[in-house]
Amino acid sequence: MAQAALTSPSDDLLLDVQDLRKSFGGVHALSGVSFSLKAGEVHALVGENGAGKSTLIKVLSGVHPYDAGSIELSGEAFEPSDPHFAKEAGIQVVHQEFNLLTDLSVAENISIEAFPKTRFGLLDRAAMKRRARSALDAIGLNDVDVKTPVSRLGIAHRQLVEIARALQSESRILILDEPTATLTERETSRLFEIVAGIKAKGVTVVFVSHHLDEVFAICDRVTIFRNGQTIATENIADTSPEGVVRHMVGRTLSEQTKELNDAICDSIVLSVEGLQTAASPHPQGVSFDLRQGEILGIAGLVGAGRTEVLRAIFGADPIQSGQISRNGNRISISDPRDAIAAGIGFVTEDRKDEGLILDMDIAANTSLVSIKDVSVKGLLSFAKERLMAIQGGARLKLKYGKASDPASSLSGGNQQKVVLAKWLASHPEILLLDEPTRGVDVGAKAEIYAILKDLAAQGMSMIVVSSELPELITLTDRLLVMSEHKVQGSLMPEDYQQEAILKLAYGQSETPEGQNQ
Amino acid sequence: MSSSESQNLMKGSSAFSVKSIVNNAGIGLALLLLILFFSVASEFFLSPNNITNILTQITINLILAVGMTFVILIGGIDLSVGSVMAFAAVIAGKAITLPGLGTTELILLAILAGLVAGLICGLVNGVISAYWALPSFIITLGMLNIARGAALQVSGAQTIYSFPFAFEEFGSKMVFGIPFVFLLALALVAIAWFVLNRTVFGRLIYAIGNNEEAVRLAGHPVFWYKVAAFTICGATAGIAAIVYMARLSIASPIAGIGFELNAIAAVIIGGTSLAGGRGSVIGTLLGAFIIGVLANGLILIGLSDFMRQMITGVVIIIAVILDHYRAKLSSS
Repeated sequence: MAQAALTSPSDDLLLDVQDLRKSFGGVHALSGVSFSLKAGEVHALVGENGAGKSTLIKVLSGVHPYDAGSIELSGEAFEPSDPHFAKEAGIQVVHQEFNLLTDLSVAENISIEAFPKTRFGLLDRAAMKRRARSALDAIGLNDVDVKTPVSRLGIAHRQLVEIARALQSESRILILDEPTATLTERETSRLFEIVAGIKAKGVTVVFVSHHLDEVFAICDRVTIFRNGQTIATENIADTSPEGVVRHMVGRTLSEQTKELNDAICDSIVLSVEGLQTAASPHPQGVSFDLRQGEILGIAGLVGAGRTEVLRAIFGADPIQSGQISRNGNRISISDPRDAIAAGIGFVTEDRKDEGLILDMDIAANTSLVSIKDVSVKGLLSFAKERLMAIQGGARLKLKYGKASDPASSLSGGNQQKVVLAKWLASHPEILLLDEPTRGVDVGAKAEIYAILKDLAAQGMSMIVVSSELPELITLTDRLLVMSEHKVQGSLMPEDYQQEAILKLAYGQSETPEGQNQ
Repeated sequence: MSSSESQNLMKGSSAFSVKSIVNNAGIGLALLLLILFFSVASEFFLSPNNITNILTQITINLILAVGMTFVILIGGIDLSVGSVMAFAAVIAGKAITLPGLGTTELILLAILAGLVAGLICGLVNGVISAYWALPSFIITLGMLNIARGAALQVSGAQTIYSFPFAFEEFGSKMVFGIPFVFLLALALVAIAWFVLNRTVFGRLIYAIGNNEEAVRLAGHPVFWYKVAAFTICGATAGIAAIVYMARLSIASPIAGIGFELNAIAAVIIGGTSLAGGRGSVIGTLLGAFIIGVLANGLILIGLSDFMRQMITGVVIIIAVILDHYRAKLSSS
């Protein structure tokens, strides 16, 4: 796999992006992205979900126009107005989600953008097959018949057909957006051989991946994204996975001493043993205890299975095996209803899709879980509901106009407070929080932390999943670090150190052999 | 709590209906303009006879549209109501012509049979589409065929007639010059309004149409709410069947062809979003009136029935375009 890094790219700048900015409504997807591509290199883009990689790709491939900044392609200003324009300029993208027509043949898919025609304007099947054959051969895919319908190919081959399609026309830059996400190890190494071959032909490859071992195996340089900005570009030879992760996470962690939470009792309110779900299939399962008044953090990379643990405990996804006990008694949770009845609340990761009913008013959102408390025999009491919203709002310092305003009228931080108010209204003893401050401004963040700590001091237990280490460090009394769907380690506040957490998150303390070769 | 505070609370509670009044104002205005136009264009339009005509004509569509409103609010659709109405009518017709029973028993039995037949069809629609999370468009398209076939099979493709006089009388009964069956439809509108706006059930119907996952994660049995919406729609088809029989004194297995489309049109013209979650049964009432007034008025001013059909189609499209802008306005 390492041979790809051997051929050294020239120093000519093929693409130069300076201070690129792009907003969607009020959301700044790109707020200052600068990076360059040298001709013939394999360049990795890394960063958390939502850091701006996908938006950059969409801008480069002409899907979205950009607001400010400059892009130069071979020294000339480049402003792709639509995907066709970008393709003409030699920029090809293989997207994460496939764009193949599964009922058509490989040959038809490869020619879909411009079918060869005979003199009479009919489809020239022979030319189409020839073209497909040479496109497949060009990337070493000799074992695929061009007449095969795509639906009969495996995921890996589909991906390769996409690459073949992208490369058949003159391409200078090939962008692969998380190409290995669905591939097995063997398929991945096949893909890497092909990438090396493409590179040898002088095509510049942009490689987006969450897997740093892959980045270090095939890339020449890496650019790190965080919060819509490029943080650094480094030569792979001069850096290490730890260095890249440090850039991804940002802010060196403050050394502030934590005041210990003395409200934690010894009584275990929730105990999870060998928990496994379809989405999180590690044979070992996930096990941990949660004590009364404790804020337990779960750290780990995106995709490590953190959200899946919360969803399983809450009954949002079915549990395949494992046990959950509440105050020492085994309970079975097959539906969110069971979890709520057991005194568990769940502040979900995604406010818009899972947390709020944006079109409905603040009062209706607040009462959604405890609607029985604001109704008598199925009849709503609007006065009680409004009172619930006003009291919940006051408790959380919610900034709003009227309880009858729609939830969509609130800022992100205040929307999150409404979700919190909704769950607090049901008086849970255990609150699960998934990325509780995502998309929330700094001021509201501090307020939410204070509220959560106050609730813990009153005896509520919490499990907090977060991708922001500073958040976990300020908030939690204990930290579990997950890697590849299992608990890799557990840390107490005195051991909260970036290096230790990241090592565990990358699964390195237990399996030193890893996948790095 | 001080009295001023509690007054404040009450004021807040009515905000929902104030909003819905504003939302319905546009449709109401359109209806008013239509009525104004036709009353100028035709001297017969506002005559008591013609008003009675209009009210009678829109009754069945209104009843079907009330049930349809529930289904569309949860983001579904029910294409089967026309056929289900025919099936329920045939079942009720069979019941009411049973030999050897007293008139009152026969009528009660028929009403019950028609209602249950409609209700069961709706229940089946709901259970299948909610359990397997299948598009209700397809499931109810299947039910459209099943119910029509069943109506023809059960009746032997024969129209059933000769009902008890008391039953037919109820179909043509007038109360202060207003057809009794229209008042019945109006009562259904009132009940539906109350259920949708004042009960937990109604609140969750709206909530499911807006964000089903959030409702599920809040611990509510989304499945049963969806089933209930379809069952209500089936039940209103059963009620429509009884009204139809009482008015026309027959139960025909080929009744109600295309009625589902009129009911959907009334709901959509009334401003309920096809995507679910937004709309009101008062809008549906106005929508049914717009269709009815158009149908009646256009014929009165001498247009052919074909023209009427074209214009109704144009109105549906305009309503959806207007709704598109209304949705944009309310979200910004």
